[in-house]
Amino acid sequence: MSKDASPNAISKTSLLSLDTWAVIVALALALAVKFDVFKNVPW
Amino acid sequence: MASTTSIAQVESDNRLLNALSVVPGVLLLAAIGFGGKVLERTINTYAKTHHWTFPNIEYVLWAIIIGLVLSNLFTIPRIFHAGIATYEFWLKIGIVLLGARFVIADMLKLGGISLGLVVIEITVSLALMTFLGRLFKLKPKLISLLAIGSSICGVSAIIAAKGAIDADDEDASFAMAAILALGALALFTFPAIAHGLHMNDVSYGLWAGLGVDNTAEATAAGALYSDAAGKVAVLAKTARNAMIGFVVLAYALYWAGRGQAEKVTNKAAFLWKKFPKFVLGFLLMSLLVGFHTFSKAQVASLGNLSKWAFLLTFAGVGLRTNFREMSKQGLRPFIVGAVGEVLIAALTLGLVVGANRICGL
Repeated sequence: MSKDASPNAISKTSLLSLDTWAVIVALALALAVKFDVFKNVPW
Repeated sequence: MASTTSIAQVESDNRLLNALSVVPGVLLLAAIGFGGKVLERTINTYAKTHHWTFPNIEYVLWAIIIGLVLSNLFTIPRIFHAGIATYEFWLKIGIVLLGARFVIADMLKLGGISLGLVVIEITVSLALMTFLGRLFKLKPKLISLLAIGSSICGVSAIIAAKGAIDADDEDASFAMAAILALGALALFTFPAIAHGLHMNDVSYGLWAGLGVDNTAEATAAGALYSDAAGKVAVLAKTARNAMIGFVVLAYALYWAGRGQAEKVTNKAAFLWKKFPKFVLGFLLMSLLVGFHTFSKAQVASLGNLSKWAFLLTFAGVGLRTNFREMSKQGLRPFIVGAVGEVLIAALTLGLVVGANRICGL
Protein backbone atom coordinates (compact mmCIF):
# COMPACT_ATOMS: atom_id res chain seq x y z
CA MET A 1 0.00 0.00 0.00
CA SER A 2 1.14 3.51 -0.62
CA LYS A 3 2.00 5.82 2.24
CA ASP A 4 -0.80 8.26 1.43
CA ALA A 5 -3.35 5.83 2.77
CA SER A 6 -2.99 7.05 6.33
CA PRO A 7 -5.00 5.44 9.14
CA ASN A 8 -6.24 8.91 10.04
CA ALA A 9 -7.83 9.43 6.61
CA ILE A 10 -11.31 9.56 8.14
CA SER A 11 -10.53 12.32 10.62
CA LYS A 12 -8.42 14.48 8.32
CA THR A 13 -11.32 16.71 7.39
CA SER A 14 -13.07 16.44 10.74
CA LEU A 15 -12.91 18.49 13.94
CA LEU A 16 -13.02 15.29 16.00
CA SER A 17 -10.24 12.71 16.18
CA LEU A 18 -10.53 9.21 14.73
CA ASP A 19 -10.74 7.85 18.30
CA THR A 20 -13.63 10.13 19.21
CA TRP A 21 -15.52 9.20 16.04
CA ALA A 22 -14.99 5.52 16.82
CA VAL A 23 -16.46 6.01 20.32
CA ILE A 24 -19.44 7.94 18.91
CA VAL A 25 -20.17 5.26 16.27
CA ALA A 26 -19.77 2.43 18.84
CA LEU A 27 -22.14 4.16 21.28
CA ALA A 28 -24.64 4.78 18.46
CA LEU A 29 -24.49 1.06 17.62
CA ALA A 30 -25.01 0.21 21.30
CA LEU A 31 -28.07 2.50 21.37
CA ALA A 32 -29.40 0.81 18.23
CA VAL A 33 -29.04 -2.56 19.99
CA LYS A 34 -30.61 -1.20 23.18
CA PHE A 35 -33.70 0.07 21.34
CA ASP A 36 -33.99 -3.10 19.21
CA VAL A 37 -33.06 -1.47 15.89
CA PHE A 38 -30.63 -4.41 15.65
CA LYS A 39 -32.18 -7.52 17.16
CA ASN A 40 -29.98 -10.57 17.79
CA VAL A 41 -26.94 -9.66 15.70
CA PRO A 42 -25.68 -12.99 14.31
CA TRP A 43 -22.11 -14.20 14.11
CA MET B 1 -24.57 35.71 -0.61
CA ALA B 2 -24.45 33.62 -3.76
CA SER B 3 -20.71 33.00 -3.38
CA THR B 4 -21.15 31.99 0.30
CA THR B 5 -23.79 29.49 -0.74
CA SER B 6 -21.59 28.07 -3.48
CA ILE B 7 -18.59 27.72 -1.13
CA ALA B 8 -20.80 25.89 1.36
CA GLN B 9 -22.10 23.71 -1.48
CA VAL B 10 -18.54 22.86 -2.64
CA GLU B 11 -17.47 22.03 0.96
CA SER B 12 -20.49 19.80 1.41
CA ASP B 13 -19.79 18.07 -1.95
CA ASN B 14 -16.14 17.54 -0.91
CA ARG B 15 -17.23 15.97 2.38
CA LEU B 16 -19.60 13.66 0.52
CA LEU B 17 -16.84 12.70 -1.95
CA ASN B 18 -14.42 12.01 0.96
CA ALA B 19 -17.01 9.81 2.62
CA LEU B 20 -17.74 7.97 -0.63
CA SER B 21 -14.01 7.44 -1.33
CA VAL B 22 -13.76 4.95 1.55
CA VAL B 23 -16.62 2.76 0.28
CA PRO B 24 -14.66 0.52 -2.19
CA GLY B 25 -11.90 -0.20 0.36
CA VAL B 26 -14.37 -0.92 3.18
CA LEU B 27 -16.25 -3.30 0.87
CA LEU B 28 -12.93 -5.02 0.09
CA LEU B 29 -12.20 -5.37 3.84
CA ALA B 30 -15.68 -6.81 4.38
CA ALA B 31 -15.32 -9.22 1.44
CA ILE B 32 -11.93 -10.50 2.67
CA GLY B 33 -13.09 -10.78 6.29
CA PHE B 34 -16.28 -12.59 5.32
CA GLY B 35 -14.27 -14.75 2.90
CA GLY B 36 -12.09 -15.79 5.86
CA LYS B 37 -15.18 -16.73 7.86
CA VAL B 38 -16.66 -18.74 4.97
CA LEU B 39 -13.31 -20.51 4.38
CA GLU B 40 -13.07 -21.50 8.06
CA ARG B 41 -16.58 -22.95 8.07
CA THR B 42 -16.30 -24.68 4.65
CA ILE B 43 -12.94 -26.31 5.36
CA ASN B 44 -14.01 -27.48 8.81
CA THR B 45 -17.27 -28.94 7.49
CA TYR B 46 -15.47 -30.62 4.58
CA ALA B 47 -12.81 -32.07 6.90
CA LYS B 48 -15.50 -33.36 9.29
CA THR B 49 -17.63 -35.02 6.59
CA HIS B 50 -14.58 -36.65 4.99
CA HIS B 51 -13.11 -37.65 8.40
CA TRP B 52 -9.93 -35.69 7.80
CA THR B 53 -7.61 -34.62 10.58
CA PHE B 54 -7.15 -30.98 9.69
CA PRO B 55 -6.04 -28.22 12.10
CA ASN B 56 -8.79 -25.71 12.85
CA ILE B 57 -7.58 -22.54 11.13
CA GLU B 58 -9.64 -19.64 12.47
CA TYR B 59 -11.22 -16.93 10.31
CA VAL B 60 -8.72 -14.46 11.83
CA LEU B 61 -5.80 -16.22 10.17
CA TRP B 62 -7.66 -16.73 6.87
CA ALA B 63 -8.56 -13.02 6.69
CA ILE B 64 -4.94 -12.03 7.38
CA ILE B 65 -3.55 -14.56 4.88
CA ILE B 66 -5.94 -13.48 2.09
CA GLY B 67 -4.99 -9.83 2.74
CA LEU B 68 -1.26 -10.67 2.80
CA VAL B 69 -1.48 -12.62 -0.48
CA LEU B 70 -3.41 -9.84 -2.23
CA SER B 71 -1.14 -7.01 -1.08
CA ASN B 72 2.13 -8.87 -1.70
CA LEU B 73 1.33 -10.57 -5.02
CA PHE B 74 -0.77 -7.85 -6.66
CA THR B 75 -0.84 -4.07 -6.71
CA ILE B 76 -3.92 -2.92 -4.83
CA PRO B 77 -5.68 -0.30 -7.05
CA ARG B 78 -5.67 3.23 -5.66
CA ILE B 79 -9.47 3.33 -5.41
CA PHE B 80 -9.29 0.90 -2.45
CA HIS B 81 -6.57 2.70 -0.44
CA ALA B 82 -8.72 5.18 1.50
CA GLY B 83 -11.14 2.47 2.60
CA ILE B 84 -8.39 0.02 3.58
CA ALA B 85 -6.88 2.74 5.79
CA THR B 86 -10.09 2.73 7.86
CA TYR B 87 -9.14 -0.60 9.46
CA GLU B 88 -7.96 1.26 12.59
CA PHE B 89 -11.34 2.95 12.83
CA TRP B 90 -13.07 -0.47 12.87
CA LEU B 91 -10.51 -1.71 15.39
CA LYS B 92 -11.40 1.08 17.81
CA ILE B 93 -15.15 0.56 17.36
CA GLY B 94 -14.54 -3.15 18.03
CA ILE B 95 -12.58 -2.39 21.20
CA VAL B 96 -15.27 -0.05 22.59
CA LEU B 97 -17.99 -2.65 21.90
CA LEU B 98 -15.82 -5.40 23.40
CA GLY B 99 -16.10 -3.51 26.71
CA ALA B 100 -19.62 -5.00 26.89
CA ARG B 101 -18.13 -8.47 27.32
CA PHE B 102 -16.15 -7.57 30.43
CA VAL B 103 -17.60 -7.78 33.90
CA ILE B 104 -16.32 -4.67 35.65
CA ALA B 105 -14.80 -6.68 38.56
CA ASP B 106 -12.81 -8.87 36.12
CA MET B 107 -11.75 -5.80 34.23
CA LEU B 108 -10.52 -4.11 37.41
CA LYS B 109 -8.62 -7.24 38.54
CA LEU B 110 -7.05 -8.03 35.16
CA GLY B 111 -6.69 -4.34 34.31
CA GLY B 112 -4.86 -3.77 37.61
CA ILE B 113 -2.46 -6.67 36.97
CA SER B 114 -2.03 -5.45 33.36
CA LEU B 115 -1.26 -1.90 34.46
CA GLY B 116 1.39 -3.12 36.92
CA LEU B 117 3.01 -5.24 34.20
CA VAL B 118 2.66 -2.42 31.64
CA VAL B 119 4.64 0.00 33.83
CA ILE B 120 7.50 -2.53 34.12
CA GLU B 121 7.30 -3.38 30.40
CA ILE B 122 7.37 0.28 29.30
CA THR B 123 10.29 1.19 31.57
CA VAL B 124 12.43 -1.76 30.47
CA SER B 125 11.47 -1.42 26.78
CA LEU B 126 12.37 2.28 26.65
CA ALA B 127 15.74 1.63 28.31
CA LEU B 128 16.48 -1.40 26.14
CA MET B 129 15.58 0.21 22.80
CA THR B 130 17.56 3.35 23.69
CA PHE B 131 20.59 1.22 24.55
CA LEU B 132 20.31 -0.85 21.35
CA GLY B 133 19.73 2.23 19.18
CA ARG B 134 22.88 3.87 20.55
CA LEU B 135 24.83 0.63 20.13
CA PHE B 136 23.84 0.47 16.43
CA LYS B 137 24.47 4.24 16.04
CA LEU B 138 20.94 5.10 14.88
CA LYS B 139 19.89 8.76 14.71
CA PRO B 140 18.74 10.02 18.17
CA LYS B 141 15.16 10.85 17.11
CA LEU B 142 14.81 7.52 15.29
CA ILE B 143 15.87 5.86 18.58
CA SER B 144 13.16 7.84 20.41
CA LEU B 145 10.51 6.77 17.87
CA LEU B 146 11.55 3.09 17.98
CA ALA B 147 11.57 3.17 21.79
CA ILE B 148 8.09 4.78 21.95
CA GLY B 149 6.70 2.45 19.25
CA SER B 150 7.97 -0.72 20.87
CA SER B 151 7.09 0.23 24.43
CA ILE B 152 3.52 1.48 23.94
CA CYS B 153 1.39 1.00 20.88
CA GLY B 154 3.33 0.77 17.67
CA VAL B 155 2.27 2.95 14.77
CA SER B 156 -0.23 5.16 16.68
CA ALA B 157 2.43 6.00 19.26
CA ILE B 158 4.98 6.78 16.55
CA ILE B 159 2.48 9.07 14.78
CA ALA B 160 1.62 10.77 18.10
CA ALA B 161 5.31 11.24 18.96
CA LYS B 162 6.46 12.35 15.51
CA GLY B 163 4.83 15.78 15.75
CA ALA B 164 5.59 16.17 19.45
CA ILE B 165 9.35 15.64 19.09
CA ASP B 166 9.57 17.17 15.59
CA ALA B 167 11.04 14.02 14.01
CA ASP B 168 11.72 13.56 10.26
CA ASP B 169 9.20 11.77 8.02
CA GLU B 170 12.00 9.38 7.06
CA ASP B 171 12.71 8.42 10.69
CA ALA B 172 9.01 7.89 11.33
CA SER B 173 8.61 5.61 8.31
CA PHE B 174 11.75 3.61 9.31
CA ALA B 175 10.33 3.12 12.81
CA MET B 176 6.85 2.24 11.52
CA ALA B 177 8.19 -0.25 8.97
CA ALA B 178 10.26 -2.01 11.65
CA ILE B 179 7.33 -2.17 14.09
CA LEU B 180 4.89 -3.39 11.41
CA ALA B 181 7.22 -6.08 10.07
CA LEU B 182 7.85 -7.39 13.57
CA GLY B 183 4.14 -7.25 14.38
CA ALA B 184 3.43 -9.42 11.33
CA LEU B 185 6.02 -11.97 12.51
CA ALA B 186 4.51 -11.94 16.02
CA LEU B 187 1.16 -13.02 14.57
CA PHE B 188 2.67 -16.37 13.70
CA THR B 189 5.31 -16.82 16.41
CA PHE B 190 3.37 -15.83 19.56
CA PRO B 191 0.55 -18.42 19.22
CA ALA B 192 3.06 -21.14 18.25
CA ILE B 193 5.24 -20.47 21.31
CA ALA B 194 2.20 -20.29 23.60
CA HIS B 195 0.87 -23.63 22.30
CA GLY B 196 4.33 -25.11 22.91
CA LEU B 197 4.28 -23.82 26.49
CA HIS B 198 0.60 -24.86 27.05
CA MET B 199 -0.28 -21.37 28.26
CA ASN B 200 -3.80 -20.74 29.50
CA ASP B 201 -6.02 -18.18 27.74
CA VAL B 202 -5.60 -15.40 30.30
CA SER B 203 -1.79 -15.73 30.50
CA TYR B 204 -1.45 -15.84 26.73
CA GLY B 205 -3.84 -12.90 26.25
CA LEU B 206 -1.81 -10.84 28.72
CA TRP B 207 1.42 -11.79 26.95
CA ALA B 208 0.05 -10.86 23.50
CA GLY B 209 -1.28 -7.54 24.84
CA LEU B 210 2.05 -6.71 26.48
CA GLY B 211 4.46 -8.13 23.90
CA VAL B 212 2.90 -7.27 20.50
CA ASP B 213 3.23 -3.58 19.71
CA ASN B 214 0.55 -2.55 17.27
CA THR B 215 -3.00 -2.71 18.64
CA ALA B 216 -4.43 -4.41 15.54
CA GLU B 217 -1.73 -7.13 15.57
CA ALA B 218 -2.04 -7.61 19.36
CA THR B 219 -5.81 -8.10 18.95
CA ALA B 220 -5.29 -10.52 16.07
CA ALA B 221 -2.51 -12.43 17.89
CA GLY B 222 -4.84 -12.85 20.87
CA ALA B 223 -7.83 -13.93 18.75
CA LEU B 224 -5.65 -16.44 16.88
CA TYR B 225 -5.19 -18.35 20.15
CA SER B 226 -8.79 -18.26 21.38
CA ASP B 227 -11.75 -15.94 21.81
CA ALA B 228 -11.05 -15.61 25.56
CA ALA B 229 -7.36 -14.87 24.93
CA GLY B 230 -8.37 -12.23 22.36
CA LYS B 231 -10.50 -10.45 24.99
CA VAL B 232 -7.63 -10.37 27.51
CA ALA B 233 -5.13 -9.27 24.86
CA VAL B 234 -7.34 -6.26 24.06
CA LEU B 235 -7.63 -5.39 27.76
CA ALA B 236 -3.86 -5.56 28.33
CA LYS B 237 -3.17 -3.62 25.12
CA THR B 238 -5.72 -0.97 26.12
CA ALA B 239 -3.98 -0.54 29.50
CA ARG B 240 -0.73 -0.08 27.57
CA ASN B 241 -2.32 2.41 25.14
CA ALA B 242 -3.59 4.48 28.08
CA MET B 243 0.05 5.34 28.91
CA ILE B 244 0.77 6.90 25.51
CA GLY B 245 0.26 10.52 26.60
CA PHE B 246 2.67 10.29 29.55
CA VAL B 247 5.50 8.72 27.55
CA VAL B 248 5.11 11.05 24.54
CA LEU B 249 4.96 14.05 26.92
CA ALA B 250 8.21 12.93 28.61
CA TYR B 251 9.94 12.67 25.21
CA ALA B 252 8.48 16.01 24.03
CA LEU B 253 9.84 17.70 27.19
CA TYR B 254 13.23 16.02 26.71
CA TRP B 255 13.59 17.19 23.08
CA ALA B 256 12.17 20.66 23.85
CA GLY B 257 14.77 20.96 26.64
CA ARG B 258 17.44 20.40 24.01
CA GLY B 259 15.88 23.02 21.75
CA GLN B 260 14.99 20.42 19.11
CA ALA B 261 11.19 20.41 19.51
CA GLU B 262 8.45 22.91 20.32
CA LYS B 263 7.92 23.74 24.02
CA VAL B 264 4.87 22.15 25.69
CA THR B 265 2.97 25.06 27.24
CA ASN B 266 -0.09 23.26 28.63
CA LYS B 267 0.78 19.75 29.86
CA ALA B 268 -2.81 18.80 30.78
CA ALA B 269 -4.10 19.77 27.32
CA PHE B 270 -1.20 17.84 25.74
CA LEU B 271 -2.05 14.72 27.77
CA TRP B 272 -5.75 14.94 26.87
CA LYS B 273 -4.95 15.44 23.17
CA LYS B 274 -2.71 12.36 23.09
CA PHE B 275 -4.93 10.19 25.31
CA PRO B 276 -6.64 7.43 23.27
CA LYS B 277 -10.34 8.24 23.73
CA PHE B 278 -11.47 4.71 22.82
CA VAL B 279 -10.05 3.56 26.19
CA LEU B 280 -12.75 5.70 27.86
CA GLY B 281 -15.39 4.27 25.50
CA PHE B 282 -14.26 0.73 26.41
CA LEU B 283 -14.60 1.47 30.16
CA LEU B 284 -17.96 3.22 29.66
CA MET B 285 -19.39 0.24 27.76
CA SER B 286 -18.34 -2.15 30.53
CA LEU B 287 -19.90 0.16 33.14
CA LEU B 288 -23.18 0.35 31.17
CA VAL B 289 -23.35 -3.44 31.07
CA GLY B 290 -22.44 -3.57 34.79
CA PHE B 291 -25.47 -1.37 35.53
CA HIS B 292 -27.71 -3.80 33.57
CA THR B 293 -28.46 -1.29 30.83
CA PHE B 294 -28.59 -4.15 28.32
CA SER B 295 -30.33 -7.53 28.42
CA LYS B 296 -28.31 -10.75 28.07
CA ALA B 297 -29.31 -11.09 24.40
CA GLN B 298 -28.32 -7.47 23.76
CA VAL B 299 -24.89 -8.02 25.37
CA ALA B 300 -24.42 -11.00 23.04
CA SER B 301 -25.39 -8.77 20.09
CA LEU B 302 -22.84 -6.13 21.17
CA GLY B 303 -20.18 -8.84 21.40
CA ASN B 304 -21.04 -10.01 17.88
CA LEU B 305 -20.95 -6.45 16.51
CA SER B 306 -17.47 -6.17 18.05
CA LYS B 307 -16.42 -9.37 16.23
CA TRP B 308 -17.67 -7.97 12.89
CA ALA B 309 -15.68 -4.79 13.46
CA PHE B 310 -12.57 -6.86 14.24
CA LEU B 311 -13.15 -8.91 11.09
CA LEU B 312 -12.64 -5.77 8.98
CA THR B 313 -9.54 -4.95 11.06
CA PHE B 314 -7.93 -8.35 10.50
CA ALA B 315 -8.46 -8.06 6.73
CA GLY B 316 -6.81 -4.62 6.93
CA VAL B 317 -3.81 -6.01 8.87
CA GLY B 318 -3.12 -8.43 6.00
CA LEU B 319 -3.67 -5.85 3.25
CA ARG B 320 -1.53 -3.25 4.99
CA THR B 321 1.47 -5.60 5.40
CA ASN B 322 3.61 -5.24 2.29
CA PHE B 323 7.00 -6.90 2.79
CA ARG B 324 8.46 -5.34 -0.39
CA GLU B 325 7.74 -1.80 0.87
CA MET B 326 9.11 -2.68 4.31
CA SER B 327 12.36 -4.14 2.94
CA LYS B 328 13.09 -0.78 1.24
CA GLN B 329 13.35 0.94 4.65
CA GLY B 330 16.84 -0.29 5.55
CA LEU B 331 18.25 -3.05 7.68
CA ARG B 332 19.68 -1.34 10.79
CA PRO B 333 16.39 -0.04 12.28
CA PHE B 334 14.91 -3.47 11.59
CA ILE B 335 17.78 -5.26 13.39
CA VAL B 336 17.48 -2.93 16.40
CA GLY B 337 13.72 -3.47 16.39
CA ALA B 338 14.04 -7.25 16.00
CA VAL B 339 16.64 -7.69 18.76
CA GLY B 340 14.66 -5.38 21.05
CA GLU B 341 11.33 -7.08 20.31
CA VAL B 342 12.72 -10.58 20.96
CA LEU B 343 14.11 -9.42 24.31
CA ILE B 344 10.85 -7.60 25.17
CA ALA B 345 8.82 -10.70 24.19
CA ALA B 346 11.01 -12.83 26.49
CA LEU B 347 10.74 -10.26 29.31
CA THR B 348 6.94 -9.97 29.03
CA LEU B 349 6.63 -13.76 28.89
CA GLY B 350 8.65 -13.94 32.12
CA LEU B 351 6.46 -11.21 33.70
CA VAL B 352 3.24 -13.03 32.77
CA VAL B 353 4.51 -16.41 34.00
CA GLY B 354 5.57 -14.70 37.26
CA ALA B 355 2.18 -12.97 37.61
CA ASN B 356 0.44 -16.29 36.95
CA ARG B 357 2.38 -17.92 39.80
CA ILE B 358 1.77 -15.04 42.21
CA CYS B 359 -1.81 -13.97 41.33
CA GLY B 360 -3.11 -17.21 39.74
CA LEU B 361 -4.34 -15.87 36.39
